[in-house]
Amino acid sequence: MIVVEFLAVMFLVSIFAGFVGAIAGIGGGLVVIPILTILFKVDIHLAIGASIVSIIATSSGAGATYVKDKMTNLRVGMFLELGTTAGAIVGAAIAAYVDSMVLELAFSAVMIVSLVPMIREIGRAIPPNPELTGLSKRLSLTGSYVETDGSEVSYNATRPKVGLAGMVVAGMISGLLGIGSGTFKVISMDVAMKLPMKVSTTTSNFMIGVTAAASAGIYFARGDVDPVIAAPVAVGILAGAYVGARILPRVSNQGVRKVFAVILAVAAIEMALTAFGV
Amino acid sequence: MKDPDSMNAIVSAVLRCGVILSASVITFGGVLFAAQSWSAQSAPLLAYASRTVPSLSSVFGGLATLSPYSVIELGVILLLATPVARVLCSVLLFATERDRIYVLVTLAVLLLLMFSMLVTPFIPLFRG
Repeated sequence: MIVVEFLAVMFLVSIFAGFVGAIAGIGGGLVVIPILTILFKVDIHLAIGASIVSIIATSSGAGATYVKDKMTNLRVGMFLELGTTAGAIVGAAIAAYVDSMVLELAFSAVMIVSLVPMIREIGRAIPPNPELTGLSKRLSLTGSYVETDGSEVSYNATRPKVGLAGMVVAGMISGLLGIGSGTFKVISMDVAMKLPMKVSTTTSNFMIGVTAAASAGIYFARGDVDPVIAAPVAVGILAGAYVGARILPRVSNQGVRKVFAVILAVAAIEMALTAFGV
Repeated sequence: MKDPDSMNAIVSAVLRCGVILSASVITFGGVLFAAQSWSAQSAPLLAYASRTVPSLSSVFGGLATLSPYSVIELGVILLLATPVARVLCSVLLFATERDRIYVLVTLAVLLLLMFSMLVTPFIPLFRG
């Protein structure tokens, strides 16, 4: 294959990855990594380097729109970033001493188990709105957004400590495996903190950029961010994420939940296959 | 700060600036690269052994000669810097709102992020 073909294919694949990633609150590594390693036989280290670029591009590209539309909850995002950044550092430190196969198997098991609450509540539009108490109240973990039909959806976060603990785990997974772990972030916010699905995916989108940036320095310094791969991936993802962020307001919370459930299933299978070296 | 929407507007503007700036630089570098290597075989260029390990001096040295790799790397650095700029800007915005808890929260995130990005690449424990 010649250079211009490679650039064109990666650009188109990345537009798709950015579009889906922006809606589901994930970084697009799920799409970009297997295309690079399986189709183009690229070394896994370079594929992970490209994934880091794709995560940051998805996060900033869609985030500009989500933050302006007040779909992202800034306070929830910043509070939870404490957990993800701390977790990412711990994960990067122990990465050299832990067998990645064990981690991948454990993480895919967690994702498969999380499919159960995800599917059981597939039709849930907006969670019950509990009273704002305790730590959630002190940290003002509350908010509202306006649907396209003009109705305002108000919500209060529950169990912030459980959510924060989930983010430490998500951050550790990021540091260990070089992924954004957006799936785990969405699950934590949805299951523990009972936020509306669109708030969970857009706030996850907001956070994955910082989580990935935390480990980006080390990948960049190792030479794992290849410019030939990074260029079509970054530009394609930014374009796809921009379009995805314009579409999301018109998708219902149930619709976003369905997209996310499919992605969760794909992610679980992909990670299990990686663990077995397929 | 009186207007509660202004924080969202400013954070959004920071992200948008970073995205437009990095996308322009990366696109420019990508076009330079494509023009020079249009019909070269892609596989050897993607081999792990032939990767370039960038340093600040190699990136900025290459910019003088418009080396496509250096231009793209500058764009990637701008992209990586965007989330950091966003966190830094949040610290300042919470400070102007006199929201003490969130100044501390965002400051802690900023310090953890800077430590992880800039310090850990030089600690042997993290290099694997």
